[in-house]
Amino acid sequence: MTAPSPGRRGERLAALFLLAAVLFNPPLLRLFGTGGTLLGVPALYAWVFGLWAAVIALAALAGRMK
Amino acid sequence: MGWGPVLGAALAYLTALFAVAHWADRRQAAGRSVIASPTVYALSLAVYCTTWTFYGSVGRAATQGIGFLPVYLGPTLLMLLAPLLLRKILRIAKEQRTTSIADFLASRYGRSPLLGGLVAVTATVGVVPYIALQLKAVAVSFDVLTGGGLSADGGLGAGALPFLDHGFLIAAVMALFAIVFGARQLDAAEHHPGMVAAIALESLVKLVAFLAVGVFVVWGLFDGPGPLFAAAAAHPDLARLFDGEAALGSTAAGVWVATTLLSAAAMLCLPRQFQVMVIEAVDERHLDRAVWLFPLYLLLINLFVLPVTLAGLATFGGRTDPDLFVVALPLEGGVAWLALLAFLGGLSAAAGMIVVESVALSTMLCNELAVPLLLRFRPAALARSADPAPLLLAIRRGAIVAILLLGYAYFRLAGSAYALVSIGLISFAAVAQFAPALVGGLYWRGATRRGAIGGVAAGTLVWAYTLLLPSFARSDWLPASFIADGPWGVTVLRPYALLGLEGLDPLAHALFWSALANIGAYVALSLFDSPDGAERGQAAAFVGMSAAAAPFTDTAAPPPAASADWRGAASVGDLVRAVARFLGPQRAEQAFAGADPQEPAGPERLRAAERLLAGVLGGASARVALASAVSAEAVDAAELLRMLDETSDVIAHSRQLEQKTADLERATDALRAANERLTELDRLKDDFLSTVTHELRTPLTSIRALSEILHDDPGLDTAQRQEFLAVIIKESERLTRLINQVLDMAKIEAGALDWRIEAIDPADTLAQAVAATEALFRERGIDLSVDLPRHLPRVRADADRVIQVAVNLLSNAAKFSPRGGRTRISARPIDGGVRVTVADSGPGVARKDRKLVFDRFRQSGDTLTGKPAGTGLGLAIAKRIVEHLGGRIGVEDAPAAIEEETAGATFWFTLPLAADSAETEATR
Repeated sequence: MTAPSPGRRGERLAALFLLAAVLFNPPLLRLFGTGGTLLGVPALYAWVFGLWAAVIALAALAGRMK
Repeated sequence: MGWGPVLGAALAYLTALFAVAHWADRRQAAGRSVIASPTVYALSLAVYCTTWTFYGSVGRAATQGIGFLPVYLGPTLLMLLAPLLLRKILRIAKEQRTTSIADFLASRYGRSPLLGGLVAVTATVGVVPYIALQLKAVAVSFDVLTGGGLSADGGLGAGALPFLDHGFLIAAVMALFAIVFGARQLDAAEHHPGMVAAIALESLVKLVAFLAVGVFVVWGLFDGPGPLFAAAAAHPDLARLFDGEAALGSTAAGVWVATTLLSAAAMLCLPRQFQVMVIEAVDERHLDRAVWLFPLYLLLINLFVLPVTLAGLATFGGRTDPDLFVVALPLEGGVAWLALLAFLGGLSAAAGMIVVESVALSTMLCNELAVPLLLRFRPAALARSADPAPLLLAIRRGAIVAILLLGYAYFRLAGSAYALVSIGLISFAAVAQFAPALVGGLYWRGATRRGAIGGVAAGTLVWAYTLLLPSFARSDWLPASFIADGPWGVTVLRPYALLGLEGLDPLAHALFWSALANIGAYVALSLFDSPDGAERGQAAAFVGMSAAAAPFTDTAAPPPAASADWRGAASVGDLVRAVARFLGPQRAEQAFAGADPQEPAGPERLRAAERLLAGVLGGASARVALASAVSAEAVDAAELLRMLDETSDVIAHSRQLEQKTADLERATDALRAANERLTELDRLKDDFLSTVTHELRTPLTSIRALSEILHDDPGLDTAQRQEFLAVIIKESERLTRLINQVLDMAKIEAGALDWRIEAIDPADTLAQAVAATEALFRERGIDLSVDLPRHLPRVRADADRVIQVAVNLLSNAAKFSPRGGRTRISARPIDGGVRVTVADSGPGVARKDRKLVFDRFRQSGDTLTGKPAGTGLGLAIAKRIVEHLGGRIGVEDAPAAIEEETAGATFWFTLPLAADSAETEATR
């Protein structure tokens, strides 16, 4: 795994920004606010934190993957 | 828990922070910075998480479920823009030598002192309540921990005297810290390594504290997340927090979006965030890690907010303020030390925020407000002081104290009025007013000073009307009817429903109106404005800065070219007066003798005067003094600050020079050592060459002499002829051997030798070497005893090379033993290998030569004849072969059995054991 060019990395993060900005907003989040649990954790909580962790992981990967 | 231990722990912890900051400052001074690390940078950004996070998130979650999250999702989103937006800001800030966000904005809009002052005042007004919030959080959590005030209203412990309570104590300690580590000296780049190191440590402490509380609550009080959530679901008013309605319902959705936007803007515009993210940044590449590490920090510190909230609500019901669950739950669970750790985590969060914020604000207030005002109203006083640095530092320290006193006063007067989280959002909304001018200024060349001033002013006014004044009303400083009915009963002006805009949460409402006023004024005024050349220049410098250009790695930017505005106006008379004031009239007359006082001074004389003054006052002060003498009003704030910058620049440069000198010295030492080694090698090479040529010439000479005799004298008798030919053959063999050795050595050195490494029987192999040298020993009359036991373990080696080594050692023994002497070759198994020894009764090897004999070209001194007995390569080759095979080689005294009259020498080498399956392997 080698580092991508800085410009490429910036573009990836900008795209991730747009995606995250959409996903972190009420209309999409509300889809998971319907109750139910995932491994005992309310679905909405699991979804928000899982999504957040995924965005962070992608941001870290954006600077590493060729 | 008694207040004594808690206070003791808090003071001990703060003392430790002082120590860490002091240590980091010392390390920085020694050139080994601890803050030059992307991880420390990311941790320092976590000063974002104040007590508002540490205590307030739980309070917000108690009413809104996941509604506390946008405050952290906003910065997560902003960090994703780091390569585009933040990198550009960092580069511009380094190039412009920015000292604060106010300075950054003022620089962008034509170095406008008005804008700088406006931003500084807005930031201060907006952030003081936020500082008050930190003091309140520490005070209240202290009360909870010591049992002073476990009350639902979160109020202060009863009967605390003004100026003798813990809020004041915390404020005083924080002021001390900020002064010691944030305003001790003027730094060229406003870097405070000690402060940043302490902040990074505090960030770790608060994270660990919160995680510890979370783990305790989930697995200690309950049996894991499943049972906890199940227990909470049993309460209908808690189950309400599970679904999206609390945080994402129709009204709440507006808050969600507004909070996301505000917190992203605050991440950029809060004075303390700008300070740690931009001003304190030592390397823009640190952003690369912060992009994910800082959001990860935010995620971790929020991971247990919901479990703690639900557990707290289930445990206490309405008995305790949710803001304090983090301390109250461990207390309730009977784990006092964890409660103390949680308190220290909250103290960390407060301390970090207060220190950085007050340092950032004091820099701003000093540079953007105090200095311009002083220059306007008391220019003489400032210009007359030989070195304005102490004055500026005094202003900054005064500002720090004033800010913290204001915060304390606000805390005392309004502290109990509002939940923690609302105060934080009011501050966020205030500093968010800088965002349009900041971001617009980076990308829109047409944005102008008037636009920026108008935008910030309009936005701030609307903010004050729709958020700040209503908060005063809620604190009973204004009548409650101000909110309900509007001022003087004018319903159109109701601050939470301006112009009748209803149905929005107060925050979203304020954000909408202030953004409209701010951006509207900014764009409209900019479009109808015509900026002057200087302003256009700055705009071009900001907008034109590429985020992709070569990164800076150090803070040393070239100082901006000094403007020559007052210089043209100076006359010789002015110079004489200026110099006379500091050096006396005689020197002044002397320096400018014969010139007409009315004549323009010209650059020559200006430089001369500056040099004269600099000798007494130092460079920057000299220029101030000169400028003030020439024209008092000509020295503006920008120039004065630039002069200060230049002084600090000189200091920074001289530090760098010292560093470079030290580096140079180290390099010189290394070079000298290398040179000595080279000289030594050169000498060895010369020695070797003369040895080899000598060795080559001796056999050549005899070959040539004998062949000439054979050629010239055909009548030689057969016996004689045979004898001569035998000598010629022997000498040719010697030559061949010599040349082979030289070639062998060269091959080994170049790694070009072919190796055939396999499992071999050492006894067999050594027997071959003995057979090859037996004749030699017989010829010399030396007794060779062979001691090679059967059943030696097999070794992993190249048979031919082992023979070569053994033959070399044996022939050396033959060469050096006297006639009638003895030599013994033996082999013994040792741990992990086989050890072969060759002992002779020769003169031995002097102790000092024992290492050297294995070096190339070294010979074991003079033999009896005084002539070297070999090429000096045999042992060097043997050593390299043995080492390549994984063994060792050496020499020691001969054993007593042989050592009788002579010293003797024992050469030995070891060979590693072969693996069990003796597989053949060919390697190079």
